[in-house]
Amino acid sequence: MSERIVTVGSAQGLHARTAKIFAEAAAGRPVRVTVACGAKGPVPAASLLGLLTLGAVHGAEVTLRADGEGADAVLDELSALLARDLDAEDAGAGDAGTAGDAGRG
Amino acid sequence: MAESAARLLDPRAIRLDARAADRDDAIRQCGRVLAEAGAVTAAYTESMLEREQSVSTHLGEGVAIPHGTAGGKDAVLRDALAVLRFPGGVDWNGHPVTLCIAIAARGDGHMAILAELAEVLLDPGRARRLREAGTAADVIRQLQPTEEEPTR
Repeated sequence: MSERIVTVGSAQGLHARTAKIFAEAAAGRPVRVTVACGAKGPVPAASLLGLLTLGAVHGAEVTLRADGEGADAVLDELSALLARDLDAEDAGAGDAGTAGDAGRG
Repeated sequence: MAESAARLLDPRAIRLDARAADRDDAIRQCGRVLAEAGAVTAAYTESMLEREQSVSTHLGEGVAIPHGTAGGKDAVLRDALAVLRFPGGVDWNGHPVTLCIAIAARGDGHMAILAELAEVLLDPGRARRLREAGTAADVIRQLQPTEEEPTR
């Protein structure tokens, strides 16, 4: 069993868009990868709904696990993807974090 | 503490018998209902369409969750949900969608809502009951974390 602990890099966390990119990347792999976040999970990395139940926000530590031949290479790739700020690569997300701080509590 | 999905859903923001010509029409209707509920300005609809072009918000189980881009947060006046059901179905990039749960959220509140919704959809029985809910109150009930003990 191989394992990687990764900090979620996307500014908005592992939400619908980032989760979808990640799930799609995990789907076409020869090994089954699971993701856990704190007490939540593990869920299959290829399951969009499963990933969403984790509620992993930006900066959350998640644990990726996989078994079998090629597991390490797959985990390395998926960890790198998860650590990236995928939201910054979204044209509409340029000012994430600057908006909405003055709202009611 | 994040509010639960059911608390963010005003019964007036639920439409059980909507019809849409296509995906973008369905998203525009979602934006209108959120705006009528006082949750967003009209600009939010464009933000939702932009998000959809970037990555589909189709979740599976016949459900899509239209929401805006991070840049669209300025159009959000308060966190809220809207539920629009399309009994005739809407073609969502090749996937049939009968239920749209539109999300307006400024901060991380939307992560908690998504997590809660995903739990419902992962349970085939709960997902079916949500899709087949007959009244607005029924929709809200299906989104409650537990059904056994009605707390009010």
